[in-house]
Amino acid sequence: MLPLQQLSEKEVLNTVRELIYEVVGEDYAIDLEVEMETSFQDDLELESIEFVTLAERLMDTFGESVDFTSWIANMEVEEIIAMTVGQLVEYISKSLE
Amino acid sequence: MARFLFVVPPLVGHINPTIGVGEELIERGHVVAWYGYKPILENLLDRDLEIVTTESEIPETLIKQVEAQSKGLRGAHALKFFWEDFLSPLAHAMVPGVRSAVEKFKPDVIVADQQCVAGAHVALENGITWATSATTSAELVNPFKLFPKLKSWADDCLMSFQISHGVKKEDANADLLRESPHLVIAYTTLNLVGNEREFDEHFAFVGPSIGRRKPRDSESNEIVFSNNGKKILISLGTVNGEVGERFYKVALDAMETIDAEALLVAPPDLIGNVPRNVIVKRFVSQLDILKHVDAVVTHGGHNTVVESLYYGLPLVVAPIRDDQPVVSDQVVAAKVGVRVKFSRVQPKELKLAIESILHESIYRENAQRIRESFLKAGGKVEAANRLEKLV
Repeated sequence: MLPLQQLSEKEVLNTVRELIYEVVGEDYAIDLEVEMETSFQDDLELESIEFVTLAERLMDTFGESVDFTSWIANMEVEEIIAMTVGQLVEYISKSLE
Repeated sequence: MARFLFVVPPLVGHINPTIGVGEELIERGHVVAWYGYKPILENLLDRDLEIVTTESEIPETLIKQVEAQSKGLRGAHALKFFWEDFLSPLAHAMVPGVRSAVEKFKPDVIVADQQCVAGAHVALENGITWATSATTSAELVNPFKLFPKLKSWADDCLMSFQISHGVKKEDANADLLRESPHLVIAYTTLNLVGNEREFDEHFAFVGPSIGRRKPRDSESNEIVFSNNGKKILISLGTVNGEVGERFYKVALDAMETIDAEALLVAPPDLIGNVPRNVIVKRFVSQLDILKHVDAVVTHGGHNTVVESLYYGLPLVVAPIRDDQPVVSDQVVAAKVGVRVKFSRVQPKELKLAIESILHESIYRENAQRIRESFLKAGGKVEAANRLEKLV
């Protein structure tokens, strides 16, 4: 694997996709499309425990600078509803710079 | 002798626990009445229990609108809906009625449901002592852990309600509406809630309030199981029937190969053919059924969870929304059950979860321990004791 700083957005997305598949479970992931515009609420219907697990996996994979929990902690209710995979990918890329 | 007024929301699960407490107070010679949405109250309360009628009733349109719009909402959508489209409009709509119920009934003590904040507001307005009836423990711990900003957003909802009903901006206090400083009755125990927060003396953890319940016209109480093997109840509560279609299918698939009988509470028109070991009923008298089963599969509604544990039954929880994820976390932490994902669980996984709680004795033993804590806590009797002390 490339040094984390050199990952392209596409590579980050691929990694995030794999992590989301892990979190929701393989059986279910088969039918799940994860693209930049995919929303966590409406498309993925991510449950609270899945947010927690995803936060752990993201930190394990990308290091301490990717603190998903703190990132979502600042969100207002509208932002939580609108949150997309793309926003997470951008956040990760920025955190790794 | 004192006068107690229960102020309740149009939610079955929030009214039921107050019935036992109210009846206990009546037996001790107190005068008790309820104020809330009349059609639901009339359906749940025995005729000899008093419902205060006022000239300002909760509009049926509001109830119907909430019922229609809340269907299928989950996660943050459900949360936003709950505060902005249910709790707040309900609070506004109930203020005139609660005021006039107070004028008519002249209560010494108001028992206000935690999610029906018009009760606490009018109590404060009139200088009447009030108790909070917390029918779910989720609001007593921090339900906004994952999204802490939502706490201040919910506070804003409550404070703007107060301000629009005459409270000065500097006096608005959301926490006061949530938790009475006099008494907070919680129908659970710390054995289940856990110890993530310290509670003062004015929190009364009384365990479930099991009252005499009026059977609904459409429900049948006959016990339907046919043999002596293991039996389970599968229910998603009173409001989630339609959203459960996928889950019901998974549960029926799982039951095909489980050596047990199941009573599935669901709208029969949503269910096709069922395996031989499954019976489908639209309504049941849950407390009666719980006496006859070995385990429960539920959405993790607070009442269903505590009532199941009251009978020492282990659980599979599949939380859908609202307080259910928090309650489900409590079930897992107390090791009285197994959590599955409502929208993702597959038959194989659900079967394993059900078989675990049926056959691994640890879940039943822990459930038994919670049951003992409930019995010791005193239920409606202790709730009435604590309420009497407020007079």
